[in-house]
Parts: sequence; C-alpha cells; structure tokens
Amino acid sequence: MTAIDWLFSPFALPFMQRPLLVMLVLAVALGLASVMVTLRSLQFVGDGLVHAVFPGIVIGFAVGGREGLVPGGLVAAAIAAVAFTLLTRRALASDSAIAVVLTVMFGIGVIIVSRQSDYVGQLQELLFGRLLTVTDADVTLTVAVAAAATVAIAVVWRTQLFRAHDPLAARAAGHRVLATDLVLAVAVAVLIVAATAAVGNLLALGLLVVPGAAARLLTHRIGWMVAISIAMGALAGFGGLLIGFRASVDWGIPLAGGASVITMLVVIYGVVLAASMLHRHGPRTAHTTADARGASTAPAPVPEAAR
Amino acid sequence: MRGVTSDAPATAGSPTREPAVAVRPALSARGVTLRYGSNPPALSDVTLDVAPGEALAVIGPNGAGKSTFILGLLGLTQLADGELRVLDRTPAAARVSVGYVPQTAGLDPEFPVTLDQVVMMGRYRTLGWRWPGRRDRAAVHAALERVGLSEQHRTRFGRLSGGQQQRGLLARALVSSPRLLVLDEPFNGLDQTSRDTLLDIVRELKADGVAFVISTHDLDLARAVCDSVLLVNGVQVAAGPRDDVLTLDNLERVFAGHQVEVDEHTVVVPPHDGHA
Repeated sequence: MTAIDWLFSPFALPFMQRPLLVMLVLAVALGLASVMVTLRSLQFVGDGLVHAVFPGIVIGFAVGGREGLVPGGLVAAAIAAVAFTLLTRRALASDSAIAVVLTVMFGIGVIIVSRQSDYVGQLQELLFGRLLTVTDADVTLTVAVAAAATVAIAVVWRTQLFRAHDPLAARAAGHRVLATDLVLAVAVAVLIVAATAAVGNLLALGLLVVPGAAARLLTHRIGWMVAISIAMGALAGFGGLLIGFRASVDWGIPLAGGASVITMLVVIYGVVLAASMLHRHGPRTAHTTADARGASTAPAPVPEAAR
Repeated sequence: MRGVTSDAPATAGSPTREPAVAVRPALSARGVTLRYGSNPPALSDVTLDVAPGEALAVIGPNGAGKSTFILGLLGLTQLADGELRVLDRTPAAARVSVGYVPQTAGLDPEFPVTLDQVVMMGRYRTLGWRWPGRRDRAAVHAALERVGLSEQHRTRFGRLSGGQQQRGLLARALVSSPRLLVLDEPFNGLDQTSRDTLLDIVRELKADGVAFVISTHDLDLARAVCDSVLLVNGVQVAAGPRDDVLTLDNLERVFAGHQVEVDEHTVVVPPHDGHA
C-alpha cells in the first residue's frame, strides 16, 4: 500500500465520507467563529454556551429521539446566547454569573438523561458524539446550520472586529454593538449544537476554542488567522478520522471518531505552541516596540500654570 | 474659516464672539445635565456653544464629569435635562460626522491589526456591505499622510509608540471627514515630538473649519490650541473664552484639595485657604 493509499483510501468508503464532509463543513464555520471568539476573548462564554445547550439537547433527545436532538439544542442555544450576551453586558461578576448558569444547566441535563433507560450509552453519545454513524439527514442539517451561521458571522464581522479592538469607539461611531453581539452569540451557539451532534457536547468546545487560539499564536494578520484556523480544523478532522479508522481497522484498537478528531486537534495545537515558543525565545531577540512609549514631558503643575 | 455663532443668545458662559455671519454652532448646550442609566447626574448645568473651527478644552479633576461630557456628545450618556445639539442634530444622529479619539491606554497591544486596518475601521459605517474600494484606500492613505504615518501603514498597531498610536486613532477619526472631533486626554504620556505634531494637526484642521472638544488635565494644551474652556467639577464651574475661564481663582475652586495627574506626575493642589 502506498502512502497516498494509506492516507486517502479510507475515505472511499461511504461511511467515512459523511463524517469527513461534516468535519470539513464544521471546520470552515467554527474556524471563522473561533477567530472572533479569540479576538473578543469569549472563550469562557463559549464554554458557558456548550454547557447551557446540553439540557436542550437532552430534552430534545428525550422527547423526539435523535431527530429531536438538534431542534432541542437550537432552542436552548438561542435562549442561552441571548442570556449570556445580556449578562456579560453588565460588566460586574459576569464570569461568576456564567459559571453559575452553566453548572446549573449542565446539571439539569444530566438529571434528565439519568431518568432515561440506557443512561450510560445515551450520556456517552451526547457527550462524545457519534461521528462515524452520522446519517445523510445529519449531514444536510449540519451543512444548513453551518452555512447560516457562517453568513451571520460574516455579516457582523466588521463591527465585531472594530468592537473587539476598541469597544467605546465602535459605539461612538454609531455601530449597533449589542445587536451584533447577539448575532455572534446565537451563531456560535447554533454551531455548538451542530458540532455536538457530530463530536459531542464536550468536544464541541475544543473545535470552537482551539483553532482560533492556535492561529493567534502563529500570525498577527487577521486574514491569515482565519485561513490557519479553518485549515487547522480541517486537518484535525481529516487526521482524526484517518487515525480513528486505521486504529480500529488495522490495529484493532477501537477509537471513537470524535475523540480522535479532538486528540488530533490538541496535538496540532501542541506543535504550534512549541513552534511559537521556540520562535519567541530562540536565537532571534524578542520583539521590541518601535520606540519607547510615554516619554515624559512635564507640564507645569496646575497652580503655576494659572499664574 | 473661523465660524462665529450668532443665532444663540450670548449667555454668560458661552464662548461667543461678535455676531457677524450666521453659522450654526458645531456644538450647542443649554442647561445640559447628563447621567448614566438611573444614577444621579454625573454632570449638571452645562451651557455653551462651540463654533466650527473652534476648540473647547474640558478641564476638571478626575471624576468631575469630563468623560461624561464627552460621552454625552457621542450620545453614550443619558441626557437627563437641558438641550444638547451636535452639528444641529441629536448626538446619536450626528455620529456619522463626529470623530472620536479615545485614549490609547485601554487598547490591547497584542491585537492583530495593522495601522491601515485600524484606520479603515473609521470607514466601516460608510462602507456598509462593500469591500473597501480605491476611494476608501485613498482616504485611509490621505488620513495617514495627514498624521505623518504613511511609512508605518503596514505596521501592527500595538507595535507603534504611544504617540504614533494616538496619531493613528486620530487618522481613524479623520478618515470619515468629521466636522467635530472629540479627543479624550490626547496628550497623556506623549513625547514632545508627538505633542507638537498633534498640535499642528489640530491647528490645520481648525483652519479647515473642524470643531474640537478636548478633555485634558494639561493647561498648556488648553493655552496652545483651545479658544474656549469648560471647567467642571460635577457641575459647570465656568465656561467661556479661555483667558476669562483659566483664572487662578477658578482653578483653585475646581482643583482645591484634589490630586491632579499631569502626564505621569501627580500634583496635589493645596486647599483654597492653604499657603500655596
């Protein structure tokens, strides 16, 4: 078997094509979202959304089975996104507010799941996804949700970029900051639901946070950040599925698809982190600012100046 | 051209000159009281006019309402009482023609944007859905040229010096051709060269008819480019022509017993009756 065969032959199988397509679609949408989450420092809000969406998914699952999972999650996502956006606007103690809400929501979800028969199997599926058994309907839904979220994020991109750099100036220029905050939060929450169906609730957070953070380490250009972030998600999706397949089929080690994707993502992040640390602390000297800030000139004290 | 207000009544505090030509004031305040949400007023009873081409310095100790006034002009604090007109519109409606230059201190130096991207942000409102075109890039270039930063346009914003960043934010405000510029403590921590450059730019823009509101602790700055002064301490203490307002008596009324930060120096103004 050639190297090319080893890399690509698994994806000739239909049951491998669907998860690959899902992962590539999620890589694009979450890659873009991840850059803005990083720039806005919303990682913790993302964590809150991941956990808050969980009871919605569970209720949807309990009521309508697998078909109910995404609708239930979407409802919870919309509610949680709006709640978190409004909570974080009140600057005081926003982190504790999110922490309390996410813990309570996640707990509610676990309680509901524990009332079901086959508690362990269902909890595992909800937490870690079932990437390798996605259906055509799952693929269609993921593509639709990801496309809608990507368009929404693109629409609010400029305002969010301005606002991330200088929030007060963005408001002063008349940008509708709260409206775009809500759009971004709902788009991210909806993507989390889509990602949950594929890689599970816990691992969705990895896809939301890691690519943007890694891209941030590698470049100071926004355009490159987006490209790297998307490429990283795609590479993790491809590599993770490949390793999962080879491990299960060739090496006799059963690996869950979602878990191997996230492991791959973390490995890539580790390499990036090591590379950027070598780059910073290596033989080249650290970056210095163009010239010294804040050279002081001393205007006369107030009473003197008045005389 | 220097504009002169005429239709506004020449109240005690207004920096009006001889009425000659009817020019609408760039800024007109009548008994303005501002507050945040449902809190008690942070600044009360401001009455003044600023004509096109004029500069107003807003001076007072920390927490005296300087920022409140500036945010009020931008429609970001609530008008509790009085009448406030910016370019003959409500503050919120005037935003398109108002440029705001905040302090650079609050900005993340690691944020991954270049100087020209930051300046382009000043055009986002006018861009709408469009991709930036040749005219937009020309406007960015012109604004950077005006503040003397053409060479650095591809530099990451956070790697510029404090003075260059301040001028970059000024370029961001200039790129949408504002008729009123609002500067928040523009000279904090600037070196002499950046101060001089900034002062020259302010003078040039004033000659083009742009009005300025500049909040500052720096009385030298007020002397250098401002025509009128608003002295605040929770309420308007005095407002009017610079030399009428900046009297020792007025300043001691406002600053007595306060710590005054002048650049990196802290000066404690002795109480009114103390031996200064």
